[in-house]
Amino acid sequence: MTIRFLKFSLLLAVVSATVAGAAPALIGNKNVAAEKLDSATVKAVFLGKKVSWDGAGRVTLAVLKAGPLAEDFFKASVEMSVSQFNNHWRRLAMTGGGTAPKAFDKEEDLRKFVAETPGAIGFIDSGVADATVAVLTPGA
Amino acid sequence: MFHPRKLMNFNQIAKAASIALTLVSVSQAAVSVGERNVQVGGFFSQGYIDTNGNNYPFENSSGTADFREAAVNVSTTVGAHLRIGAQAFAQRLGNYGDDKIKLDWAVVDYNIRQEFGVRVGRVKYPKGLYGEALDLDVIRPFVFLPFALYNPVVRDFNSSFNGGMVYGTVNVGKGGSLDYKAFYGDIPMNPEQGVADFFNTTSLYAAPGVTELGMDSTYGAHLVWNSPVNGLKFCASYSALDALYANGKFAAYPAGNVSLLLKRYDYITLSTEYAVGLWTLAGEWQKAGGDTVVGTPFGNQLGKSVVHNWYASVARRLNDRWEVGTYYSSQENKKPAAGTPNKATYNRDWALSVRFDLNEHVTLKLEGHSIDGGYNLFNTVRTPNRTLKDRTTFFAAKTTLVF
Repeated sequence: MTIRFLKFSLLLAVVSATVAGAAPALIGNKNVAAEKLDSATVKAVFLGKKVSWDGAGRVTLAVLKAGPLAEDFFKASVEMSVSQFNNHWRRLAMTGGGTAPKAFDKEEDLRKFVAETPGAIGFIDSGVADATVAVLTPGA
Repeated sequence: MFHPRKLMNFNQIAKAASIALTLVSVSQAAVSVGERNVQVGGFFSQGYIDTNGNNYPFENSSGTADFREAAVNVSTTVGAHLRIGAQAFAQRLGNYGDDKIKLDWAVVDYNIRQEFGVRVGRVKYPKGLYGEALDLDVIRPFVFLPFALYNPVVRDFNSSFNGGMVYGTVNVGKGGSLDYKAFYGDIPMNPEQGVADFFNTTSLYAAPGVTELGMDSTYGAHLVWNSPVNGLKFCASYSALDALYANGKFAAYPAGNVSLLLKRYDYITLSTEYAVGLWTLAGEWQKAGGDTVVGTPFGNQLGKSVVHNWYASVARRLNDRWEVGTYYSSQENKKPAAGTPNKATYNRDWALSVRFDLNEHVTLKLEGHSIDGGYNLFNTVRTPNRTLKDRTTFFAAKTTLVF
């Protein structure tokens, strides 16, 4: 009984930590900071329909390959699951319709890529964002 | 008893496996290439099909592993608006394709803004929900897309065209968004393509069949409304093939020639897809047809071709690895030639599929079909059906590696 209670407590703690820590932050290269962003633009960008910024060159997408943060971000931004998002881009890339996002396993690698790549936009846990990238806040 | 045909199949599978290993190596190499603004992708699939009844959709009456596809694509971007890329493709479907490598698409794409872009070169042909994605196994549970709208035998004909396209996306506020495409070009044709058997099976042509195929041009438009309801979209497509012709020796008088001309062959396609939660529901209806002229040494005969096609499909993802799906697909010839048996005027297909994702790169599928009717079943050199049977059942298995 005690062991089962400990297991449950541990699971609850892990879930709570995941939920509490998994607040996706939209980040961009610093040259993207001046771009006008609303939710429709973010959706168009991540679906490959808007491929260039008004003043920051070509859009380069950076995404996490999987995980709850990616699920949360895609659901909120493009109304898709990770699987649906991946299939959307496989379809575009395999039919000559777009250049697939750069996919990362680690948030730190994604953040570094966005910081070093003009026009790049991606998402990471808000706790991982630092001054090397612009934290973007889409308007209504 | 060990059948020589089966031995050939094992050899084919071994050959296919070696190709797959090569492609895995390519996919590993692609990572370093990708860091230099060049993306490399592709897929390889190997299937097995065994039919009871008629040979359908291609020759496989003893069971065959002559069922595979492979593609490798490369693309890069130049500046803020320009993208270039190309994909090589090879397939073997029974006696079609012969694993010959062909240029599937090769585009120069200049996207001026979200609302307007231009794509020229060899461009994927937009028609219906999946016309541009005929061989993307990874995006669906089915081995075969519904035959009513997506016959795999004509994949080497209608998947791409040479020409240009304008496209874009227009946001309509709370009404969602509209994706549009309009295109013009032509499709190179030859008697080796699967499409030739649609003419060869008419009995007009002396064996081995048509000797010349071609068209003047193809054009059309494609409109998708991404509705405000999450996952729900509607699509309308129009496309036309102008002056589509097939010439050959006349079967009834081999000293002379026969030509079949479709002055303009139109496709009108209406579609909807609803991806909600773990479910994907889809349905499409299509009307295809045009006026025909059969020219023989003894004069011309005018006619009309009208075909109605539709299907409804349901797919459900069970968990991260498993997905199931089913569809009902119907084709009906509304203007059959006089004397055509009723059973040869329609084709109604039930399909049931199971998909298993081994990992994010490898997919396995099993599928069963039960088909009533004989419309669009060939009796040709490459797909013989000397006596058409009323019913056909077949089983297909397919594995796909995507990278």
